[in-house]
Amino acid sequence: MKRGKHQDVFAERLAGKVVPDARQLRKTAGDWLKQRRAEAALSQADLAARLGLKYYTFISQVENGFSRVPTELLGAWARELGLEPAAFTRHLLMYYEPELYRLLFGAENK
Amino acid sequence: MSVVAFERKQDIGEWSERELNTITAALNAALSPATGRTWETGMTEKGDAQFYLLGPLPDQACELCVSRIGGRYVLEDGSGRLLFEHRNLDLVVLHARAAIPSTSRLMVRAIIVWCAIRSVIHEKIEPMLGESEELLVELAPQLAVFA
Repeated sequence: MKRGKHQDVFAERLAGKVVPDARQLRKTAGDWLKQRRAEAALSQADLAARLGLKYYTFISQVENGFSRVPTELLGAWARELGLEPAAFTRHLLMYYEPELYRLLFGAENK
Repeated sequence: MSVVAFERKQDIGEWSERELNTITAALNAALSPATGRTWETGMTEKGDAQFYLLGPLPDQACELCVSRIGGRYVLEDGSGRLLFEHRNLDLVVLHARAAIPSTSRLMVRAIIVWCAIRSVIHEKIEPMLGESEELLVELAPQLAVFA
């Protein structure tokens, strides 16, 4: 089957370029989350307690860019940072699923 | 006066060499090059050490995380689920090793899925093909008349 030009580009990205991007984007998301938490005057331990987590280590895991904010925590995480959940989720989607974000919202809406 | 140097149990700060060796030795199989996994260390804002077991490329997402908080070791998965906690690191890494999906387990799952697909093909699709073949054999002479 013949592949479209865009498919080849996508395959190339999958094979090479996306590799460091996924980690880098998660790290950028983590830095953004850290900034928002600082603005809300919360420590990692404060946020973890408010989210009902026994330890604050997961907050660090996410902010260091090794994990994502789980879907089931997105709403509560946003509220504890004083942010609107939909906007918060949409912003994180830009880092976690950039292709999905582009398809849903277009590149110009960053 | 001679002073006997006791090894002080680390409660805060970066991983000691002994701790890192304990973790990486226990996860040796999971970290073999064939798995594509790797590991990194980091710190919380309070200066507590964290060890991240990262999955293969392209995502390299955290599969397991071991943290040391005040001399207590905490094992979590990449979604923040608390899997185990104890003061004894050897016990914690044993649980970490058990929590990693092994290649053999994945192989078993793949074989089960393959068997299920073959079974469906055998039970559902092959009889359907057989029926249409019989139908074709019956209709062929009648179609030949029109040709």
